[in-house]
Amino acid sequence: MLILLTGGSACGKSSYGEKLAVQGPKPLYYIAAMQPYDDECLKKIARHRELRRDKGFETIERYTSVDTLQLPQKGGTALLECLCNLTANEMYIQPEKPMDPVERVVAGVENLRQQTDTLIVITNDVGSDNEAYSEETRAYIRYLGEINAQVAAMADRVYELVAGIPLCLKGETV
Amino acid sequence: MILIIGGAASGKRTYLESLGYGPQDMADGVLDEKKVLYGLEKLVAADPERAEALLPALLKKEAVACSEVGSGVIPVRYEQRRAREATGRLCVQLAARAEKVVRLLAGIPTVIKG
Repeated sequence: MLILLTGGSACGKSSYGEKLAVQGPKPLYYIAAMQPYDDECLKKIARHRELRRDKGFETIERYTSVDTLQLPQKGGTALLECLCNLTANEMYIQPEKPMDPVERVVAGVENLRQQTDTLIVITNDVGSDNEAYSEETRAYIRYLGEINAQVAAMADRVYELVAGIPLCLKGETV
Repeated sequence: MILIIGGAASGKRTYLESLGYGPQDMADGVLDEKKVLYGLEKLVAADPERAEALLPALLKKEAVACSEVGSGVIPVRYEQRRAREATGRLCVQLAARAEKVVRLLAGIPTVIKG
């Protein structure tokens, strides 16, 4: 089962993702793609850790190349947070770049899906402000848009979170 | 309290008017005695640190309208990131307590709670 959660920033994606994950089969893995590079990231990570505390997640930090990630155990549930960070990391910190970011991130999702019973993937909608960004940022928006479309096509269920309320875009409503 | 959420110019004000609220009922980004607060995102951006403290006053309103500000590229400036996060989190809290939540998209209101 692959579930994709999307929505703007701070719309309740993580909380809902965790809520779905704890209902899934064990073990529970949390795959964190945010590389802490400053105080703000550390605070964000600390906040997410606090939200996950006592929920039984094993945290795996993985900033790039999720396509080659081996989970400690097959089966169970994984929560991947998030494609926005993963895509940026593939663009900026991936040491080996023969593969295009879209291909690598989508392959990463597929790799995790093969190893889990339930995979929950969090992403964001970054293309809805249409500002005059730099070529580099526009490339990022294009990559993530393409990744979102491909993962949504693979997913059994897709939800958009609006103010913490899940709106079902694909599959059945829980 | 009814929470109305949607992108800029998505039809929030028109929807409020359809509920019978006129300009005299709507405060624009400020907390006052009016029945409706329009532009919650402006109120939050003015002082993101105090966003949570606004909750009790907002719950007393008949309706609160907020623009969706979190769907776009993460801003480079910290103050902007701070404001959009605070807006998002406050909307999650408001939605949890609201009797009704209405999402506007292309002028179409969709009741997503209540």
